[in-house]
Amino acid sequence: MKTIRLMAVGGTIAYRALFNWTTPGMFVGTLLVGPLFQLLFFAYLGRQLQVADDRFYIVGNAVLTASLACVFGGTMAVANERRYGTLGHVLLSPRSRTLIFWGRVLPYAGNGLLIAVVTLTVGALLLGLRIPLSALPGLLLAMAAGSLACGFFGLTLGALGLRFRDVWVISNVAVALLLLLTGVNVPADGLPGWMVTVGQWLPITHAASAARSFAAGEGFASAAPALGRELLVGAVYAAAAVILLKIFETESRRRASLDTY
Amino acid sequence: MGSDYAIEADDLRRTYRARTGWLKPTRTEVEAVRGVTFEVGRGELFGLLGPNGAGKTTTIKMLNTLLIPTSGTARVGGFDVVKQTKQVRRRIGYVFGGDRGLYDRLSALDNLRYFAELYGVAPREQKRRIAELLDLVGLAGRERERVEGYSRGMRQRLHIARGLLHSPDVLFLDEPSIGVDPVAARELRRTVGDLAATGTTVLLTTHYMAEADELCDRIAVISDGCIQALGTPAELRKHADGFRVVEVEAYGVPDTAVDTLRGLPGVRETAVEVKGALQLLTVHSDAHVDVQGDVLRELAGIRLGRVNSREPTLEDAYVAIVSAA
Repeated sequence: MKTIRLMAVGGTIAYRALFNWTTPGMFVGTLLVGPLFQLLFFAYLGRQLQVADDRFYIVGNAVLTASLACVFGGTMAVANERRYGTLGHVLLSPRSRTLIFWGRVLPYAGNGLLIAVVTLTVGALLLGLRIPLSALPGLLLAMAAGSLACGFFGLTLGALGLRFRDVWVISNVAVALLLLLTGVNVPADGLPGWMVTVGQWLPITHAASAARSFAAGEGFASAAPALGRELLVGAVYAAAAVILLKIFETESRRRASLDTY
Repeated sequence: MGSDYAIEADDLRRTYRARTGWLKPTRTEVEAVRGVTFEVGRGELFGLLGPNGAGKTTTIKMLNTLLIPTSGTARVGGFDVVKQTKQVRRRIGYVFGGDRGLYDRLSALDNLRYFAELYGVAPREQKRRIAELLDLVGLAGRERERVEGYSRGMRQRLHIARGLLHSPDVLFLDEPSIGVDPVAARELRRTVGDLAATGTTVLLTTHYMAEADELCDRIAVISDGCIQALGTPAELRKHADGFRVVEVEAYGVPDTAVDTLRGLPGVRETAVEVKGALQLLTVHSDAHVDVQGDVLRELAGIRLGRVNSREPTLEDAYVAIVSAA
C-alpha cells in the first residue's frame, strides 16, 4: 500500500511541481495544437506523395504525439529538480529511488495517452477517417503501451540529467529521432537497415504498428506481437532508467556533480 | 542508537577535482576539507563557524550522505555515512539557506505532503504532523499559497518545517538565516532553540556570531578546511583575551591608510566592513596598548563618525582565530 501511495501520490505531486506545461495555454498549445498540425502536415504530404494512406499517418502520428509529453516530461522529472535546487532533498529520501522515479512516469504516460486520444479523434474527424468501434479498446491499449514505454524512455533521458548539464539537447534530438525512426511517417521499408534496427529499440515503433493493425479492423491476435514488443522496449527503458539513476547518484556523491549545475 | 554521540567525524577530508577544456583539459584540485574531527553529543546544539569557502557546507554534505569523503569516517546516530546511508537518512533532516530548494509552483502544503511521502511519514500521521509543523514555523493560514509568492523568511521557515517532517534525531542547518531580515532571523533562532530544547541534535553553520553565541552549546571554528578552535562560546571568547578593540566609523578611507594602521605598534589585526558609503574600521590591539590616539592621528583629514573602544566579543575572538589560521 505504501508503495502504491508513493508512486501514485508522489508521482502526481511531482508532476504538478516539475512539468512546465501544465498551464492551460501551454498544455493546449504545446501538447494538443502543435502535434495536431504535425499530423495534418504529414497526412497531406503523404497524400501529395502517395506514400501511404490517411490511416497510416493519422494513427501513427496520433501514437507519436504521446512522445512529446513523455520525453520532455521524463527529462523535466529530473532536470527541473536541479533547477529548483530540490534534487539534494529528494536524494536524501531513504525510500526506494526506483519507486520514486517510476511513480513520476505514470502521470506523463497518462498525459501522453490523453494527448494521443485527442489527436486521433480530432485528426480522424478532420480528415474523415472511419475507425470501427470494435477497434477502439485495442487502439487505446496500443496508445497506452506506447505512452508508458515512451515515459520510461523519457525517464532514461532524464536520468542523464544527473550527469550532464545540457540534457535538453538530448531530449530534442530524441524527439527528432522518434519522428524519423519509428516508422510513423516514413515506412520502415523506406529506411536503411541500421535505422530500422535502431527504430526497433525505440518506443512508439511497435505501438504504432499495433495501433494500425487495430485501426484496420484486425483482431487482437494480429496486434499482440507488436504490443508485446512495445511493452518489452518499455521494460528495457524502465530498467535502464533505474540503473542510470543509481550510477549517476553514486557518482554525484563521489564527484560532487550535483553542485556543478 | 548505540553510539554515545549523535555525530562523529574522524579526520574527514574532501578534495574536489575539476576538469575544464576539451582539447587541452586543465585539471584542478581543491582540498575543501582537510582532516576535520569532532563529536556532537545527543541533544547538543553545535555550531560550525567559518568564512566563505572554509569547508562548512562540504562537511555538512559529507555528514548528511550527499557527498562521499575522500578519506576519513563519519557516523550519524552510530551509522556510517558512506555504508549505511538509508539508516542515516531516516534519522536526519537537512535545511539550507537561500531561496532555492522548494517547488515554487506548489503550495507549502503540497511541498510538505510530497516530502512527507519521500521521507516515509506514515500516511495517517501526515496531516497531523504537517499541521503541527506549519503552526511551529508560523505558516499556518498561508499553507495553500504558492511558494513562489513567499518572502525569503517564509521560505526559510518552510525549509525548517520540511527538515522536521519525519521528526529527525539530527538536524543539519546550513546557514538558515542567510538573507533573512532581523525579525525573521529572531523567530528562526527561537524555533531552533526550541528544537534543541526538545532533544533534537542540531548542527548549525552560520556567519552570524550573535546567532552562534545565543544558540550554540559548543562551536567549532573552521577555516581553510581545518578546525581552528572548538569549545563553548565562553571558551572561544578567551581567544580574544588580552585584546582591546577600537571601532571607527569613517568615510573614504584609502587602502594605504588601512595598511598604515596595521603597522602601528600594538595593533594585531585590522578589518574594514563597508556599509554603503560608511566604512567600519575595527582595530584589534594588545590590551595594554592604547592605540586609539594613534589610529585617529593616522585618519586625520578623513571624515569620521562614531569612535568606540570596547571589550572583545565572540566575533572578535572569531576574527582572531581565523586571522591566525
